[in-house]
Amino acid sequence: MTLALAMAAVSPAGAAEQMKQEAAGNGFSLHGFGTLGLARTDDDDAQFVRDLSQPYGLTSRWSAKVDSMIGLQAGYQFNDKLEAVLQAVSRYHSEGNFAPEVSWAFLRYDPDPTASLRIGRLGTEFYMLADSRLVGYANLTVRPPPDYFGPLVLSYVDGIDGAKSIPLGNGLLRGKLFAGISPEKMYLGSGLYWDMSGSLVAGGHLDYLTGPWQIRIGQTRVRFDKGPPINEFAGLPDFTDQVPEMEVAGKWTTYDSLGLVYDNSPFQLQLMLSRIDQGSAAFEDSRAGYVIASYRTGNVTPFIGYSRTKSEAARFTSTPPFPYGAYATALSESTHADQHTWFLGARWDLRKDLDLKAQVDWINGSPNSVFPYREEKIPGWDGDMTVFSLALDFVF
Amino acid sequence: MVPRSCLLLLAALVLSPWAQASPGLVLVVNARSGVDRLTLDDAVNIFMGRYRQLSSGMAALPIDQPDNQPEKARFYRLLVNKDLAEINAYWARLIFSGKTSPPHQAKSTAEVLDLLARQPGAIAYLERSQVDSRFRIVLEFER
Repeated sequence: MTLALAMAAVSPAGAAEQMKQEAAGNGFSLHGFGTLGLARTDDDDAQFVRDLSQPYGLTSRWSAKVDSMIGLQAGYQFNDKLEAVLQAVSRYHSEGNFAPEVSWAFLRYDPDPTASLRIGRLGTEFYMLADSRLVGYANLTVRPPPDYFGPLVLSYVDGIDGAKSIPLGNGLLRGKLFAGISPEKMYLGSGLYWDMSGSLVAGGHLDYLTGPWQIRIGQTRVRFDKGPPINEFAGLPDFTDQVPEMEVAGKWTTYDSLGLVYDNSPFQLQLMLSRIDQGSAAFEDSRAGYVIASYRTGNVTPFIGYSRTKSEAARFTSTPPFPYGAYATALSESTHADQHTWFLGARWDLRKDLDLKAQVDWINGSPNSVFPYREEKIPGWDGDMTVFSLALDFVF
Repeated sequence: MVPRSCLLLLAALVLSPWAQASPGLVLVVNARSGVDRLTLDDAVNIFMGRYRQLSSGMAALPIDQPDNQPEKARFYRLLVNKDLAEINAYWARLIFSGKTSPPHQAKSTAEVLDLLARQPGAIAYLERSQVDSRFRIVLEFER
């Protein structure tokens, strides 16, 4: 099919067709986005990360590590139906460095203005706004609330998606389905990685847009091809044999979400809720949510927000033999989260392609809320932390 | 308790962009598009990339005036009460997640008129004084 499309794309075009192609933005395009971020915390007993794809995080010293990034995107529009896009991003990620990675690389085919099909490498859209969470300039806060977006370590998959819009009532109903295979990995600590490659990611969502309102309900499921190296982590080679409930490979994890955006400029409100149901006792099930309200005055948009995450201890159906049970509980508890964050900040639009943001996050949690962080010191970590952030975002 | 005057001031701030008369900005299509009228919601759907199919079945081809033309800022103020930086941020999200493209960015008003005249699906905002028989007004912004 791709070949046929490509051939159709290069067929000679008449003057009218050429005009049409010009108006549709045909040809080559190059865009970019980036953030220069500086942040620190007030607490060296745990390191704050933007999300769990980052192996180390912030301390009480100013650092540009967690929020700084740059992305470049090249596009080629063959005609008003077919487009190719390639995007590479350099940011601090699981390798512990800023090595660039291909975040998007796809062919997009729009059979008509209401539908689109894409094939290739695609950003994951577990939750509303999740597929643009690296684009600081598109977002109000310095970073998407980590209580909510932090557990999303899969940024992209190799697969397909399809979207369709239909008018309904006074608004618009939009649906999207996607499926793909992850090529990524996650750092677990102690020099160990979880190879997530081969994991199947599939899901969909429905949006309804009317006037200033947009509401979305969505579900994404992940079937992990390989589990994290739990046996190595525990130092017990037969660990998952003795406690099969800790096995992650082959199990489905489900991400349910609900999103609501009210954008009646200059006032804007975002409300998101999510639930992660793990297929394995190695990870605790969790619930999260956040709300952000903002009001734009001239070039400055102050905002206030609240986010919350809480996980539930895994229940083992049978009592694992000694000493496996103790290890199982300890490992599962290392994925515990129980905290809320108040955040306050402002975005200042300096130009139409440049903004400056300042933000303070006050995190209040229980001492056993360790999953959102890196390098927790136990004892010592009390669950409370304040984060100070500055960011300069740009697009070109 | 919030004083009543504060609420009135807030209401005035929120409503002011619509309260101001904006002389002569109109949304026009090519006269061959088969479209007579568009609602404000239709215009939002087309220019914000939400839904670009015209009632005649034709694909809508929205065109933006150059950034240095005051019509552009005025249009988006009237359409969604956003300034151009906000519009740019909105498109940054869609461009970098491989979704819909922004309206075609014309380099001059002459190019806007040229595209409007040649392209059946073209749609753009103009001063009323620039409208001639090749175009059809489908939405008026002034009160």
